[in-house]
Amino acid sequence: MACSHEYYKLMHEYLDENMPLTEAKKFEAHMQECPACEQHLKELKKTVAIVQSASHFEAPEGLTREVMNQLPKQNQSQKWQNWLRRHPFLVTAAAFFLVFLLSLSAGFDGEEEIMVKGDGHFIVDESRKVVIIPEDSTIQGDLLIRNGNVEVNGEIEGDITVIHGEHLQASTARIAGDIEEVNNTMEWIWYEIKEFSREVLPFSSNGEEE
Amino acid sequence: MDAVVKRIVREVKRGNQEAFAELVELYKDKVYHIAYRMLGNAHEAQDVSQEAFLRAYTNIHSYDENRKFSTWIFRIATNLAIDRLRKKKPDFHLEDKVGGTENLDYYSQFASEEALPEEQVVKLEMQEWIQQEIMQLPPKYRSAVILKYLEDLSLKEISEILNLPVPTVKTRIHRGREALRKKLGDV
Repeated sequence: MACSHEYYKLMHEYLDENMPLTEAKKFEAHMQECPACEQHLKELKKTVAIVQSASHFEAPEGLTREVMNQLPKQNQSQKWQNWLRRHPFLVTAAAFFLVFLLSLSAGFDGEEEIMVKGDGHFIVDESRKVVIIPEDSTIQGDLLIRNGNVEVNGEIEGDITVIHGEHLQASTARIAGDIEEVNNTMEWIWYEIKEFSREVLPFSSNGEEE
Repeated sequence: MDAVVKRIVREVKRGNQEAFAELVELYKDKVYHIAYRMLGNAHEAQDVSQEAFLRAYTNIHSYDENRKFSTWIFRIATNLAIDRLRKKKPDFHLEDKVGGTENLDYYSQFASEEALPEEQVVKLEMQEWIQQEIMQLPPKYRSAVILKYLEDLSLKEISEILNLPVPTVKTRIHRGREALRKKLGDV
C-alpha cells in the first residue's frame, strides 16, 4: 500500500499549488502508476473539500454592543472634543459669530462720544448730546447718529438711523427714507448684521433696490 | 474597503470611541468564526471575540496602518483562543473528548431559523462532525488549518497572524491535513 515518504511530502506541495510545473508533471505521472499514492491524494482532496464545506458562523447578536459597553469610559470633555472635531465648520462659524457678538456688544456699551455720519450741514450740541439739522439744510443720502438724539428741522434725502438715542421731528422736516432707532443690544446686533451683510454681499442690496 | 478601514482606525486613534463600533461590525463575524472553530464552544467564542476587540481598542496605537487590520485582529483573536486552550487543557490528547460541542450550542449558531427538513438535519450532523474532527487537532495545527481552509487566507497572511515563518505554517497545514484525512478521508 505505502509508497515512499518522499512522495507524501510532494503530495502536500502539490496540494499547496506551489510546485514547479515540470515537477508537478512528474508527480502526476507517478500518481497514474501508483494506486496507493493516488488513493492518498484523493483522500486528501476530499478532506480539504469537507473542511471547506464547513459553514460560517455569524457573531451572536449584540456582540458589538457588548464590546462598546466594555470599552473604557471616556469623560464628557473627550466626547465634546470628538464632537468638535467632527464638526469643524460649525465650530468655526460659532466661534466667529461669538467674537462678532462680543465686539459688537462692547462697541454698543463702550462708546459715549456722539458720532454723526452724513453728507450735509448739521449742528452738533455736545452738552445736550443732540444733533440738529437746521431748517434750511439738506442732508444728501442717509444720516447715522450714534450716542445722541437728533432733531430734524430740515430735509433728509435718505434714511435716518439713531443708535442709542431718539429722534425729534419738527413740522418743517422732510424725511424721504425710513427712520430707525436702535436702543438695545439685540437691536444693535441685528442692525450690524444687516449692515455687514449689505457690505459683504453687495448683490443682495442691489437686488433690493431694483 | 482598506481606505474605509484606515479612516475608521484614524478616527479611533484620535479618540473617537464611537467609530470603533464600525470596526467591530466589519470584523465581528470573522473573528467570532475563528474563535468558534478554535474553541468549539459558542460561549467561549463570544468571550474571546469580545476580549479580542477590547484588546484591539486599548492597543490601537500599536497597530501599524500599513498592514491589514484583519491580520492584526485575527492575530489577537487566535492568540487569545490558544491561551485559553492552554489554560483549559495543559496536556492535550488527540483522544480527548471534545468539550463544548453540545447540540444546543451548535444548533443555535445557525443563522437561518427555518424548520429542519431531513436534508438539513443530515447537513447539521455533517457540520457537527467536521467541527468535532477539527477540535481533535492539536491547537497549533488547528489554527493553521482554520485560517487556510475556513478563512481562505494566503500562507503569507497566516504566517503573519501566527507569527511563524511560512515553511512552518506549511508544515502545520500538511500535518493538520494528514491528521484530518485519517478521519474524514475514508468516508
